[in-house]
Amino acid sequence: MGETVISIKDLSKSFGKHEVLRKIDMDVNAGEIICIVGSSGSGKSTFLRCINKLERQSAGKILYHGKEIRDVQRDINEYRAKVGMVFQSFNLFNNMTVLQNCMICTRKVLRISKEEAFDRAINHLKEVGMAPYIHAKPFQLSGGQKQRVAIARSLCMNPEVLLFDEPTSALDPEMVGEVLNVMKELATTGLTMIIVTHEMAFARDVSTRTIFMDRGLVAEDAPPSELFTNPKNPRTREFLSRYLAG
Amino acid sequence: MGYLFSGIEDPQTSLEWMIYLTNKYLKMFLDGTKLTLYIAVLGTILGFVLGYVIGIIQDMKSGEGDNVVKKIFVRILKMIAGAYVEVFRDTPMIVQAMIIYYGIRQLGVDMQPVFAGILVTLLNTGAYMAETVRAGIGSIDIGQREGAWAMGMSPMKTMLYIVLPQAFKNIIPEMANTFLTNLKMTSVLNVIAVQELFMAAKTVGGNYYKYFESYLVIAVIYFVLCFFFNKLFNMLEKKLKDKTDYALAVEYMDNQ
Repeated sequence: MGETVISIKDLSKSFGKHEVLRKIDMDVNAGEIICIVGSSGSGKSTFLRCINKLERQSAGKILYHGKEIRDVQRDINEYRAKVGMVFQSFNLFNNMTVLQNCMICTRKVLRISKEEAFDRAINHLKEVGMAPYIHAKPFQLSGGQKQRVAIARSLCMNPEVLLFDEPTSALDPEMVGEVLNVMKELATTGLTMIIVTHEMAFARDVSTRTIFMDRGLVAEDAPPSELFTNPKNPRTREFLSRYLAG
Repeated sequence: MGYLFSGIEDPQTSLEWMIYLTNKYLKMFLDGTKLTLYIAVLGTILGFVLGYVIGIIQDMKSGEGDNVVKKIFVRILKMIAGAYVEVFRDTPMIVQAMIIYYGIRQLGVDMQPVFAGILVTLLNTGAYMAETVRAGIGSIDIGQREGAWAMGMSPMKTMLYIVLPQAFKNIIPEMANTFLTNLKMTSVLNVIAVQELFMAAKTVGGNYYKYFESYLVIAVIYFVLCFFFNKLFNMLEKKLKDKTDYALAVEYMDNQ
Protein backbone atom coordinates (compact mmCIF):
# COMPACT_ATOMS: atom_id res chain seq x y z
CA MET A 1 0.00 0.00 0.00
CA GLY A 2 1.15 3.51 -0.84
CA GLU A 3 2.03 6.36 1.44
CA THR A 4 -0.53 8.07 3.65
CA VAL A 5 -2.37 10.83 1.79
CA ILE A 6 -4.96 11.96 4.30
CA SER A 7 -4.77 11.44 8.05
CA ILE A 8 -7.82 12.07 10.15
CA LYS A 9 -7.05 12.62 13.80
CA ASP A 10 -9.67 12.61 16.56
CA LEU A 11 -12.28 14.10 14.25
CA SER A 12 -15.50 15.07 16.01
CA LYS A 13 -18.52 16.89 14.72
CA SER A 14 -21.60 18.07 16.56
CA PHE A 15 -24.66 19.87 15.30
CA GLY A 16 -25.70 21.70 18.43
CA LYS A 17 -25.98 19.09 21.15
CA HIS A 18 -26.21 16.25 18.67
CA GLU A 19 -22.87 14.45 18.33
CA VAL A 20 -22.62 13.09 14.80
CA LEU A 21 -18.98 12.04 14.70
CA ARG A 22 -17.06 10.92 17.76
CA LYS A 23 -13.29 11.04 17.63
CA ILE A 24 -12.64 9.29 14.38
CA ASP A 25 -9.08 8.27 13.58
CA MET A 26 -8.27 7.08 10.11
CA ASP A 27 -5.47 7.05 7.57
CA VAL A 28 -6.12 7.03 3.86
CA ASN A 29 -3.30 5.58 1.80
CA ALA A 30 -2.55 6.21 -1.84
CA GLY A 31 -4.42 3.88 -4.17
CA GLU A 32 -6.93 2.68 -1.62
CA ILE A 33 -10.57 2.25 -2.55
CA ILE A 34 -12.40 2.77 0.71
CA CYS A 35 -16.12 2.09 0.91
CA ILE A 36 -17.99 3.45 3.90
CA VAL A 37 -21.22 1.65 4.72
CA GLY A 38 -23.65 1.93 7.59
CA SER A 39 -27.26 2.73 8.34
CA SER A 40 -28.79 6.17 7.79
CA GLY A 41 -27.80 8.66 10.44
CA SER A 42 -24.58 6.87 11.31
CA GLY A 43 -22.56 9.90 10.20
CA LYS A 44 -21.14 8.57 6.91
CA SER A 45 -22.02 11.60 4.80
CA THR A 46 -21.02 14.07 7.50
CA PHE A 47 -17.69 12.30 7.78
CA LEU A 48 -17.11 12.62 4.03
CA ARG A 49 -18.17 16.26 4.03
CA CYS A 50 -15.74 16.92 6.88
CA ILE A 51 -12.95 15.35 4.84
CA ASN A 52 -13.67 17.86 2.06
CA LYS A 53 -14.10 20.64 4.63
CA LEU A 54 -17.66 21.33 3.54
CA GLU A 55 -18.42 20.82 7.22
CA ARG A 56 -16.08 22.27 9.74
CA GLN A 57 -15.09 19.75 12.35
CA SER A 58 -15.88 20.53 15.99
CA ALA A 59 -12.63 19.01 17.14
CA GLY A 60 -9.68 17.11 15.74
CA LYS A 61 -7.72 17.72 12.58
CA ILE A 62 -7.13 16.61 9.04
CA LEU A 63 -3.62 16.21 7.68
CA TYR A 64 -2.86 16.15 3.98
CA HIS A 65 0.55 14.62 3.29
CA GLY A 66 1.38 15.24 6.95
CA LYS A 67 0.43 18.92 6.82
CA GLU A 68 -2.54 20.15 8.77
CA ILE A 69 -5.30 21.82 6.79
CA ARG A 70 -5.96 25.00 8.72
CA ASP A 71 -9.34 26.70 8.63
CA VAL A 72 -8.05 29.38 6.28
CA GLN A 73 -9.87 29.79 3.01
CA ARG A 74 -6.72 29.64 0.88
CA ASP A 75 -5.51 26.41 2.51
CA ILE A 76 -8.94 24.92 2.12
CA ASN A 77 -9.19 25.90 -1.57
CA GLU A 78 -5.78 24.42 -2.38
CA TYR A 79 -6.65 21.24 -0.54
CA ARG A 80 -10.03 20.88 -2.21
CA ALA A 81 -8.47 21.25 -5.64
CA LYS A 82 -6.61 17.99 -4.86
CA VAL A 83 -9.45 16.23 -3.06
CA GLY A 84 -12.52 16.26 -5.29
CA MET A 85 -16.04 15.31 -4.43
CA VAL A 86 -18.99 13.77 -6.25
CA PHE A 87 -22.39 14.46 -4.75
CA GLN A 88 -25.61 12.53 -4.44
CA SER A 89 -27.45 15.39 -6.13
CA PHE A 90 -24.77 15.83 -8.87
CA ASN A 91 -24.52 19.61 -8.34
CA LEU A 92 -23.71 20.32 -11.97
CA PHE A 93 -23.76 24.04 -12.67
CA ASN A 94 -27.17 24.68 -14.18
CA ASN A 95 -26.12 27.79 -16.05
CA MET A 96 -23.45 25.97 -18.05
CA THR A 97 -23.20 23.29 -20.70
CA VAL A 98 -21.54 19.95 -20.01
CA LEU A 99 -18.31 21.23 -21.55
CA GLN A 100 -18.35 24.47 -19.56
CA ASN A 101 -19.03 22.48 -16.39
CA CYS A 102 -15.85 20.53 -17.03
CA MET A 103 -13.75 23.56 -17.90
CA ILE A 104 -14.73 26.29 -15.45
CA CYS A 105 -12.77 25.01 -12.46
CA THR A 106 -9.66 23.99 -14.37
CA ARG A 107 -9.68 27.44 -15.98
CA LYS A 108 -10.47 29.51 -12.88
CA VAL A 109 -8.83 27.48 -10.12
CA LEU A 110 -5.88 25.76 -11.79
CA ARG A 111 -5.61 28.54 -14.39
CA ILE A 112 -4.60 26.24 -17.22
CA SER A 113 -4.96 27.34 -20.85
CA LYS A 114 -8.22 27.06 -22.72
CA GLU A 115 -6.79 24.43 -25.06
CA GLU A 116 -5.53 22.28 -22.23
CA ALA A 117 -8.78 22.63 -20.30
CA PHE A 118 -10.69 21.61 -23.41
CA ASP A 119 -8.49 18.57 -24.01
CA ARG A 120 -8.81 17.46 -20.42
CA ALA A 121 -12.57 17.90 -20.49
CA ILE A 122 -12.99 15.93 -23.72
CA ASN A 123 -10.71 13.14 -22.53
CA HIS A 124 -12.52 12.66 -19.26
CA LEU A 125 -15.93 13.02 -20.86
CA LYS A 126 -14.91 10.28 -23.30
CA GLU A 127 -13.93 8.08 -20.37
CA VAL A 128 -17.42 8.34 -18.93
CA GLY A 129 -19.08 8.16 -22.34
CA MET A 130 -20.50 11.66 -22.28
CA ALA A 131 -18.39 13.43 -24.93
CA PRO A 132 -21.24 13.66 -27.49
CA TYR A 133 -23.26 15.67 -24.98
CA ILE A 134 -20.83 18.57 -24.52
CA HIS A 135 -23.40 21.10 -25.76
CA ALA A 136 -26.21 19.91 -23.48
CA LYS A 137 -27.29 21.70 -20.33
CA PRO A 138 -27.71 19.67 -17.12
CA PHE A 139 -31.52 19.81 -17.21
CA GLN A 140 -31.46 18.00 -20.55
CA LEU A 141 -29.66 14.97 -19.12
CA SER A 142 -30.83 11.93 -17.19
CA GLY A 143 -29.65 11.37 -13.63
CA GLY A 144 -27.09 8.77 -14.65
CA GLN A 145 -25.73 11.04 -17.37
CA LYS A 146 -25.49 13.94 -14.94
CA GLN A 147 -23.57 11.86 -12.46
CA ARG A 148 -21.15 10.67 -15.13
CA VAL A 149 -20.54 14.28 -16.15
CA ALA A 150 -20.02 15.20 -12.49
CA ILE A 151 -17.39 12.46 -12.22
CA ALA A 152 -15.65 13.69 -15.38
CA ARG A 153 -15.75 17.23 -14.05
CA SER A 154 -14.00 16.16 -10.86
CA LEU A 155 -11.42 14.18 -12.81
CA CYS A 156 -10.50 17.25 -14.88
CA MET A 157 -8.90 18.69 -11.73
CA ASN A 158 -6.49 15.72 -11.66
CA PRO A 159 -7.39 15.04 -8.04
CA GLU A 160 -5.32 12.84 -5.82
CA VAL A 161 -8.35 11.65 -3.91
CA LEU A 162 -11.94 11.54 -5.04
CA LEU A 163 -14.78 11.42 -2.52
CA PHE A 164 -18.18 10.01 -3.48
CA ASP A 165 -21.18 10.87 -1.34
CA GLU A 166 -23.82 8.24 -2.15
CA PRO A 167 -23.36 8.79 -5.89
CA THR A 168 -26.14 6.41 -6.93
CA SER A 169 -28.74 7.06 -4.24
CA ALA A 170 -30.66 9.65 -6.28
CA LEU A 171 -30.73 7.53 -9.43
CA ASP A 172 -33.44 5.38 -10.96
CA PRO A 173 -32.48 1.71 -10.58
CA GLU A 174 -31.67 1.26 -14.26
CA MET A 175 -29.13 4.08 -14.14
CA VAL A 176 -27.25 2.86 -11.11
CA GLY A 177 -25.30 0.38 -13.24
CA GLU A 178 -23.87 2.92 -15.68
CA VAL A 179 -22.48 5.05 -12.84
CA LEU A 180 -21.10 2.08 -10.90
CA ASN A 181 -19.40 0.83 -14.07
CA VAL A 182 -17.66 4.17 -14.50
CA MET A 183 -16.52 4.01 -10.89
CA LYS A 184 -15.28 0.44 -11.33
CA GLU A 185 -13.20 1.59 -14.28
CA LEU A 186 -11.82 4.44 -12.18
CA ALA A 187 -10.87 2.05 -9.41
CA THR A 188 -8.47 0.32 -11.78
CA THR A 189 -6.55 3.53 -12.53
CA GLY A 190 -4.93 3.82 -9.12
CA LEU A 191 -6.94 6.86 -8.07
CA THR A 192 -7.58 6.97 -4.33
CA MET A 193 -11.30 6.86 -3.68
CA ILE A 194 -13.52 7.12 -0.62
CA ILE A 195 -17.07 6.09 -1.34
CA VAL A 196 -20.09 6.36 0.90
CA THR A 197 -22.55 3.88 -0.53
CA HIS A 198 -25.51 1.61 0.04
CA GLU A 199 -24.46 -0.67 -2.82
CA MET A 200 -23.16 -3.63 -0.83
CA ALA A 201 -22.23 -5.72 -3.86
CA PHE A 202 -20.19 -2.85 -5.23
CA ALA A 203 -18.45 -2.30 -1.90
CA ARG A 204 -17.63 -5.99 -1.65
CA ASP A 205 -16.29 -6.28 -5.20
CA VAL A 206 -14.48 -3.00 -5.70
CA SER A 207 -13.22 -1.69 -2.36
CA THR A 208 -9.82 -2.58 -0.97
CA ARG A 209 -11.05 -1.65 2.48
CA THR A 210 -14.55 -1.39 3.88
CA ILE A 211 -15.53 0.70 6.84
CA PHE A 212 -18.69 0.15 8.79
CA MET A 213 -19.84 3.25 10.62
CA ASP A 214 -22.23 3.13 13.52
CA ARG A 215 -23.47 6.04 15.66
CA GLY A 216 -20.60 8.34 14.72
CA LEU A 217 -17.85 5.80 15.21
CA VAL A 218 -15.83 3.55 12.95
CA ALA A 219 -17.21 0.28 14.22
CA GLU A 220 -15.24 -1.93 11.88
CA ASP A 221 -12.46 -1.33 9.38
CA ALA A 222 -11.41 -4.37 7.39
CA PRO A 223 -10.81 -5.72 3.89
CA PRO A 224 -14.18 -6.46 2.28
CA SER A 225 -13.44 -10.18 2.16
CA GLU A 226 -13.37 -10.18 5.96
CA LEU A 227 -16.02 -7.59 6.72
CA PHE A 228 -18.65 -9.15 4.50
CA THR A 229 -18.01 -12.79 5.30
CA ASN A 230 -16.82 -12.71 8.88
CA PRO A 231 -17.77 -9.45 10.61
CA LYS A 232 -16.25 -9.07 14.08
CA ASN A 233 -18.60 -6.44 15.42
CA PRO A 234 -22.14 -7.59 16.32
CA ARG A 235 -23.53 -4.29 14.96
CA THR A 236 -21.91 -4.99 11.60
CA ARG A 237 -23.38 -8.45 11.56
CA GLU A 238 -26.81 -7.09 12.37
CA PHE A 239 -26.55 -4.43 9.67
CA LEU A 240 -25.34 -6.84 7.02
CA SER A 241 -27.94 -9.46 7.80
CA ARG A 242 -30.66 -6.84 7.48
CA TYR A 243 -29.23 -5.82 4.11
CA LEU A 244 -28.72 -9.29 2.78
CA ALA A 245 -32.18 -10.36 3.97
CA GLY A 246 -33.82 -7.29 2.43
CA MET B 1 -56.93 64.18 -37.34
CA GLY B 2 -55.84 66.44 -40.19
CA TYR B 3 -55.25 69.32 -37.81
CA LEU B 4 -52.52 67.42 -35.99
CA PHE B 5 -50.05 68.82 -38.45
CA SER B 6 -51.83 71.89 -39.73
CA GLY B 7 -52.14 73.18 -36.21
CA ILE B 8 -55.12 74.47 -34.31
CA GLU B 9 -55.50 78.22 -33.86
CA ASP B 10 -58.54 78.23 -31.65
CA PRO B 11 -58.79 75.04 -29.54
CA GLN B 12 -62.21 74.29 -28.00
CA THR B 13 -62.46 70.66 -26.86
CA SER B 14 -60.04 68.92 -24.51
CA LEU B 15 -58.69 66.86 -27.39
CA GLU B 16 -58.03 70.01 -29.36
CA TRP B 17 -56.32 71.55 -26.38
CA MET B 18 -54.10 68.49 -26.02
CA ILE B 19 -53.04 68.74 -29.63
CA TYR B 20 -52.60 72.47 -29.40
CA LEU B 21 -50.42 72.23 -26.31
CA THR B 22 -48.41 69.35 -27.74
CA ASN B 23 -47.70 71.29 -30.90
CA LYS B 24 -46.89 74.51 -29.15
CA TYR B 25 -44.69 73.00 -26.43
CA LEU B 26 -43.35 70.04 -28.39
CA LYS B 27 -39.76 70.83 -27.48
CA MET B 28 -40.56 71.09 -23.79
CA PHE B 29 -42.37 67.74 -23.78
CA LEU B 30 -39.59 66.11 -25.78
CA ASP B 31 -36.90 67.50 -23.51
CA GLY B 32 -38.91 66.34 -20.50
CA THR B 33 -39.23 62.86 -22.00
CA LYS B 34 -35.51 62.73 -22.72
CA LEU B 35 -34.62 63.80 -19.21
CA THR B 36 -37.08 61.34 -17.67
CA LEU B 37 -35.56 58.52 -19.72
CA TYR B 38 -32.03 59.70 -18.96
CA ILE B 39 -32.57 59.76 -15.21
CA ALA B 40 -34.54 56.52 -15.19
CA VAL B 41 -32.02 54.59 -17.30
CA LEU B 42 -28.89 55.90 -15.60
CA GLY B 43 -30.38 55.76 -12.11
CA THR B 44 -31.65 52.24 -12.66
CA ILE B 45 -28.44 50.85 -14.11
CA LEU B 46 -26.25 52.40 -11.42
CA GLY B 47 -28.83 51.33 -8.84
CA PHE B 48 -28.62 47.75 -10.09
CA VAL B 49 -24.85 47.78 -9.69
CA LEU B 50 -25.21 49.14 -6.17
CA GLY B 51 -27.99 46.65 -5.43
CA TYR B 52 -25.79 43.74 -6.51
CA VAL B 53 -22.90 44.93 -4.37
CA ILE B 54 -25.13 45.43 -1.33
CA GLY B 55 -26.96 42.15 -1.95
CA ILE B 56 -23.66 40.26 -2.10
CA ILE B 57 -22.44 41.97 1.06
CA GLN B 58 -25.62 40.99 2.86
CA ASP B 59 -25.12 37.40 1.76
CA MET B 60 -21.51 37.29 3.00
CA LYS B 61 -20.70 34.92 5.79
CA SER B 62 -17.53 35.14 7.78
CA GLY B 63 -16.28 31.61 8.39
CA GLU B 64 -15.46 30.47 11.88
CA GLY B 65 -11.87 30.05 10.82
CA ASP B 66 -11.43 33.61 9.57
CA ASN B 67 -9.24 35.97 11.55
CA VAL B 68 -10.71 38.62 13.82
CA VAL B 69 -9.98 41.58 11.53
CA LYS B 70 -11.89 40.00 8.68
CA LYS B 71 -14.77 39.08 10.95
CA ILE B 72 -15.10 42.64 12.26
CA PHE B 73 -14.73 44.07 8.77
CA VAL B 74 -17.50 41.84 7.41
CA ARG B 75 -19.75 42.66 10.32
CA ILE B 76 -19.31 46.41 9.90
CA LEU B 77 -19.90 46.15 6.15
CA LYS B 78 -23.08 44.20 6.76
CA MET B 79 -24.28 46.70 9.34
CA ILE B 80 -23.78 49.62 6.97
CA ALA B 81 -25.48 47.75 4.14
CA GLY B 82 -28.38 46.78 6.37
CA ALA B 83 -28.88 50.32 7.66
CA TYR B 84 -28.78 51.76 4.16
CA VAL B 85 -31.39 49.32 2.84
CA GLU B 86 -33.64 49.91 5.84
CA VAL B 87 -33.49 53.72 5.65
CA PHE B 88 -34.18 53.95 1.92
CA ARG B 89 -36.94 51.36 1.93
CA ASP B 90 -38.72 52.95 4.87
CA THR B 91 -38.84 56.57 3.61
CA PRO B 92 -40.64 57.99 0.56
CA MET B 93 -38.55 58.85 -2.47
CA ILE B 94 -39.98 62.36 -2.63
CA VAL B 95 -38.73 63.05 0.90
CA GLN B 96 -35.33 61.50 0.12
CA ALA B 97 -35.08 63.81 -2.88
CA MET B 98 -35.68 66.90 -0.76
CA ILE B 99 -33.30 65.84 2.00
CA ILE B 100 -30.48 64.86 -0.34
CA TYR B 101 -30.79 67.87 -2.62
CA TYR B 102 -31.12 70.51 0.09
CA GLY B 103 -28.85 68.69 2.49
CA ILE B 104 -25.96 68.62 0.07
CA ARG B 105 -26.57 72.25 -0.96
CA GLN B 106 -26.44 73.20 2.69
CA LEU B 107 -23.02 71.64 2.89
CA GLY B 108 -21.96 74.21 0.33
CA VAL B 109 -21.74 71.83 -2.62
CA ASP B 110 -23.38 73.23 -5.74
CA MET B 111 -25.27 70.27 -7.09
CA GLN B 112 -27.29 70.22 -10.28
CA PRO B 113 -30.90 69.03 -9.79
CA VAL B 114 -30.43 66.39 -12.50
CA PHE B 115 -27.43 64.99 -10.68
CA ALA B 116 -29.39 64.92 -7.43
CA GLY B 117 -32.25 63.23 -9.27
CA ILE B 118 -30.00 60.47 -10.56
CA LEU B 119 -28.46 60.07 -7.11
CA VAL B 120 -31.85 59.71 -5.45
CA THR B 121 -33.06 57.24 -8.08
CA LEU B 122 -29.95 55.10 -7.85
CA LEU B 123 -29.93 55.05 -4.04
CA ASN B 124 -33.60 54.12 -3.99
CA THR B 125 -33.15 51.44 -6.66
CA GLY B 126 -30.08 50.08 -4.89
CA ALA B 127 -31.99 49.53 -1.66
CA TYR B 128 -34.82 47.63 -3.36
CA MET B 129 -32.49 45.72 -5.67
CA ALA B 130 -30.33 44.63 -2.73
CA GLU B 131 -33.30 42.76 -1.31
CA THR B 132 -34.17 41.31 -4.70
CA VAL B 133 -30.59 40.17 -5.29
CA ARG B 134 -30.40 38.66 -1.83
CA ALA B 135 -33.59 36.73 -2.45
CA GLY B 136 -32.29 35.75 -5.89
CA ILE B 137 -29.05 34.43 -4.42
CA GLY B 138 -31.01 32.62 -1.72
CA SER B 139 -33.14 30.88 -4.33
CA ILE B 140 -30.10 29.14 -5.85
CA ASP B 141 -29.68 25.67 -4.39
CA ILE B 142 -26.74 25.41 -1.98
CA GLY B 143 -25.55 22.38 -3.96
CA GLN B 144 -24.52 24.71 -6.79
CA ARG B 145 -22.07 26.39 -4.46
CA GLU B 146 -20.88 23.20 -2.82
CA GLY B 147 -20.15 21.77 -6.26
CA ALA B 148 -17.80 24.66 -6.96
CA TRP B 149 -16.30 24.82 -3.47
CA ALA B 150 -15.55 21.11 -3.53
CA MET B 151 -13.24 21.72 -6.50
CA GLY B 152 -11.35 24.49 -4.77
CA MET B 153 -13.17 27.49 -6.15
CA SER B 154 -13.13 30.44 -3.77
CA PRO B 155 -16.44 31.74 -2.41
CA MET B 156 -16.02 35.00 -4.37
CA LYS B 157 -15.42 33.26 -7.70
CA THR B 158 -18.25 30.86 -6.96
CA MET B 159 -20.53 33.84 -6.49
CA LEU B 160 -19.32 35.44 -9.71
CA TYR B 161 -19.34 32.45 -12.06
CA ILE B 162 -21.95 30.11 -10.61
CA VAL B 163 -24.44 31.84 -8.35
CA LEU B 164 -24.89 35.33 -9.80
CA PRO B 165 -25.49 34.27 -13.42
CA GLN B 166 -28.28 31.99 -12.21
CA ALA B 167 -29.69 34.52 -9.77
CA PHE B 168 -29.55 37.20 -12.48
CA LYS B 169 -31.74 35.16 -14.75
CA ASN B 170 -34.29 34.61 -12.01
CA ILE B 171 -34.59 38.29 -11.14
CA ILE B 172 -34.81 39.75 -14.65
CA PRO B 173 -38.61 40.20 -14.35
CA GLU B 174 -38.11 42.03 -11.08
CA MET B 175 -35.41 44.20 -12.64
CA ALA B 176 -37.73 45.11 -15.50
CA ASN B 177 -40.37 45.99 -12.93
CA THR B 178 -37.97 48.21 -11.05
CA PHE B 179 -37.06 50.08 -14.22
CA LEU B 180 -40.71 50.73 -15.08
CA THR B 181 -41.35 51.93 -11.54
CA ASN B 182 -38.39 54.28 -11.81
CA LEU B 183 -39.60 55.64 -15.13
CA LYS B 184 -42.78 56.74 -13.39
CA MET B 185 -41.17 57.68 -10.08
CA THR B 186 -38.92 60.28 -11.73
CA SER B 187 -42.07 62.44 -11.71
CA VAL B 188 -41.54 63.18 -8.03
CA LEU B 189 -38.21 64.81 -8.87
CA ASN B 190 -40.09 67.96 -9.96
CA VAL B 191 -39.94 68.94 -6.27
CA ILE B 192 -36.22 69.57 -6.64
CA ALA B 193 -36.75 71.41 -9.91
CA VAL B 194 -35.67 68.68 -12.31
CA GLN B 195 -37.13 69.57 -15.71
CA GLU B 196 -38.59 66.13 -16.43
CA LEU B 197 -41.98 65.27 -17.88
CA PHE B 198 -44.07 66.11 -14.84
CA MET B 199 -42.40 69.49 -14.55
CA ALA B 200 -43.05 70.11 -18.24
CA ALA B 201 -46.77 69.37 -17.83
CA LYS B 202 -46.95 71.57 -14.75
CA THR B 203 -45.37 74.47 -16.62
CA VAL B 204 -47.41 74.03 -19.79
CA GLY B 205 -50.65 73.57 -17.88
CA GLY B 206 -49.99 76.71 -15.87
CA ASN B 207 -49.55 78.86 -18.97
CA TYR B 208 -53.15 78.37 -20.12
CA TYR B 209 -54.67 77.05 -16.93
CA LYS B 210 -55.24 73.77 -18.81
CA TYR B 211 -53.90 71.24 -16.27
CA PHE B 212 -56.26 68.41 -17.21
CA GLU B 213 -55.21 68.45 -20.87
CA SER B 214 -51.56 69.02 -20.12
CA TYR B 215 -51.31 66.08 -17.70
CA LEU B 216 -53.26 63.92 -20.12
CA VAL B 217 -50.53 64.55 -22.68
CA ILE B 218 -47.79 63.28 -20.36
CA ALA B 219 -49.98 60.40 -19.19
CA VAL B 220 -50.04 59.24 -22.82
CA ILE B 221 -46.26 59.68 -23.06
CA TYR B 222 -45.64 57.70 -19.83
CA PHE B 223 -48.03 55.01 -21.01
CA VAL B 224 -46.41 54.64 -24.43
CA LEU B 225 -42.92 54.50 -22.90
CA CYS B 226 -43.86 51.88 -20.31
CA PHE B 227 -45.84 49.85 -22.83
CA PHE B 228 -42.87 49.82 -25.20
CA PHE B 229 -40.35 48.82 -22.53
CA ASN B 230 -42.68 46.18 -21.15
CA LYS B 231 -42.88 44.51 -24.55
CA LEU B 232 -39.12 44.82 -24.97
CA PHE B 233 -38.42 43.13 -21.63
CA ASN B 234 -40.89 40.36 -22.40
CA MET B 235 -39.03 39.65 -25.62
CA LEU B 236 -35.70 39.69 -23.82
CA GLU B 237 -36.98 37.27 -21.21
CA LYS B 238 -38.15 34.86 -23.90
CA LYS B 239 -34.79 35.10 -25.63
CA LEU B 240 -32.97 34.19 -22.42
CA LYS B 241 -35.14 31.13 -21.77
CA ASP B 242 -33.26 27.85 -22.08
CA LYS B 243 -33.68 26.14 -25.38
CA THR B 244 -34.99 22.62 -24.99
CA ASP B 245 -32.87 21.12 -27.75
CA TYR B 246 -29.13 20.83 -28.17
CA ALA B 247 -26.81 19.54 -30.85
CA LEU B 248 -25.11 16.20 -30.27
CA ALA B 249 -21.40 16.52 -30.85
CA VAL B 250 -21.29 13.81 -33.52
CA GLU B 251 -17.53 14.14 -33.89
CA TYR B 252 -17.23 12.35 -30.55
CA MET B 253 -19.78 9.65 -31.31
CA ASP B 254 -17.36 7.04 -32.69
CA ASN B 255 -15.97 6.19 -29.28
CA GLN B 256 -19.31 5.24 -27.79
